Amino acid sequence: MVYQLSLGRKVFLVLNVTLCVLIALAVLFPLWMALVTSLAPDHQVIYRDFIMLPTEINFNCYAVVFQSGYMRGFLNSIFVTVVGTALSMVLTLLAGYVLAQKDLVFRRFFMGFIFVTMVFDAGIMPFYVVVRSLKLIDTYAALFIPVLVSTYNLILVKNYMMSIPESLMESARLDGCSEVGILFKIVIPVSIPIIAAITLFYVVFYWNQYINVLMFINDATKYTIQVLLRQLVFDNASIQSGANRVYSNFKMAVMLVAMLPVLILYPFIQRHFVSGIMLGSIKG
Amino acid sequence: MMNNSAQAQKSLEFMTERTPSKLLIRLKQQRFLLLMLLPTLIWYIIFKYLPMIGSYLAFTDSGLSANISFVGLDNFRRLFQSPGFWTSFGNTLIISAYYLIFYFPVPVILSLLLNEFRSVRFKRALQFTIYIPHFFSWAVVGSLFVMLLSPGSGPVNEIIKIFGGKPIFFMVSPDWFRSILVSSHLWKDVGYGTVIYIATLATIDPELYDAALVDGAGYWGRLWHITLPCLRSTIAVVLLLQVSNILRVFEQILVMYNPAVYQVSEVLQTYSFTEGLLNGDIGFATAIGLFTSITSLLLVFGTNSLSKKVMHESIL
Repeated sequence: MVYQLSLGRKVFLVLNVTLCVLIALAVLFPLWMALVTSLAPDHQVIYRDFIMLPTEINFNCYAVVFQSGYMRGFLNSIFVTVVGTALSMVLTLLAGYVLAQKDLVFRRFFMGFIFVTMVFDAGIMPFYVVVRSLKLIDTYAALFIPVLVSTYNLILVKNYMMSIPESLMESARLDGCSEVGILFKIVIPVSIPIIAAITLFYVVFYWNQYINVLMFINDATKYTIQVLLRQLVFDNASIQSGANRVYSNFKMAVMLVAMLPVLILYPFIQRHFVSGIMLGSIKG
Repeated sequence: MMNNSAQAQKSLEFMTERTPSKLLIRLKQQRFLLLMLLPTLIWYIIFKYLPMIGSYLAFTDSGLSANISFVGLDNFRRLFQSPGFWTSFGNTLIISAYYLIFYFPVPVILSLLLNEFRSVRFKRALQFTIYIPHFFSWAVVGSLFVMLLSPGSGPVNEIIKIFGGKPIFFMVSPDWFRSILVSSHLWKDVGYGTVIYIATLATIDPELYDAALVDGAGYWGRLWHITLPCLRSTIAVVLLLQVSNILRVFEQILVMYNPAVYQVSEVLQTYSFTEGLLNGDIGFATAIGLFTSITSLLLVFGTNSLSKKVMHESIL
């Protein structure tokens, strides 16, 4: 069907393209500026942080970042993210699989038990007190143990697994396959899309977490890169040793390091998160 | 079909759970399943339910003395008498109102605009771009805004200087700080906000539009009578989600604020954080948190019943 476009419609389409492209540029512009600034030499940024196109490129700032205390923060973040995501996935998959069993005893009770926590949240102080009384303050474990399960992700997994034909699991059960066996041999292989999606959700969550680090960690050597970045940019507190002043190119280099894993994973995240969100909106 | 089998399932469950012997048999059959669920249940008890029970601290002087003793409603009395509480409560409401006014409609409009494009590639490229900032931490987004707004020579102040203005110290300006909160929130999450609308728009049956076209409906007629009604329940869900987050603005402000703008940006959550963790007044801070949770719960149920009345659609 060929549409005859009226003049008004043509004008609208042109304006629409312009507007949407401008919005996309508004997203990209700060990122581009940060990249260019981080690659500029000191003498360029001392008087002017505003550089649109690079005239000189050097990687000095990055070299400094990787030799400084920021590297420690980066590694802390990686450690917490990797361990946290792995443990989160184990718990979420096990629980999601069990809750997806339609004939599970007390199923309604368990679902209610988990769902209530999405509606009512006690606030940060009692949470802090619990973590403190478990002696987790100033341990890396405090950055993943208290936040292991995301109810949202758990419901996503449960809903997805409920859509798998029951006959598949039932016949395996009759063959004498154990529940863990069914989960690993039958359910997980057909649940790859949702597993990919929530793995990425957990990675982004752990990598970006901020409040918990402030609450549970006092020892600066255990800070994650996000907290160090915030101190550097907002409080001008650099942990870089030496008397060198810190300029905006160094700050932007630290910032890019702090967003690096997310940027690298972004194409995968983007592919999965739309479907993940849609799966979540199915009422289960 | 679905309904029938679900009902059959339900009555089956009901029947089996009524006879205890069958229940025991099922418990025995499913012992491994229950064992697999156990770690998660224990985690929920420790990190979700214990804190709920721990809310009793709001009625104690925890943090102020070595021996915790009950003080009744003292913390709440102190709370309602302290100017800090009213400032932060007011700020929370104002900032949330801004978020609702600016952040709620923009994704709807933007997704309608994106929906107009016939070229799938172009649309995909745009979506790919506008979703990016959602995945950055607030520390990163805050740093980007500090750079953009730097009074020395950030691009925003460069533009102001070109037009002959004086550079503005945005981050420490009480007049500007809330606008910065709103704009950084928009920058970070507008793209993300469109996802659910775009997906809903894709499910609208194109035959509806063709039929309307045959009936002579114009562009606006189709928008008003087909597109918007189809988005209605999605809009209601998103609204409820936003209302449930109203009193929870926290991380963004914790990252971006500073003493110069405390007066306009201290919110309930940051107030609780400061009182509890920095001043050590745990009982008082818990009281703030409890007040926040209960008010938030009332807001959610209020919105839900409002949506029931206005749109004949209950969300919860």
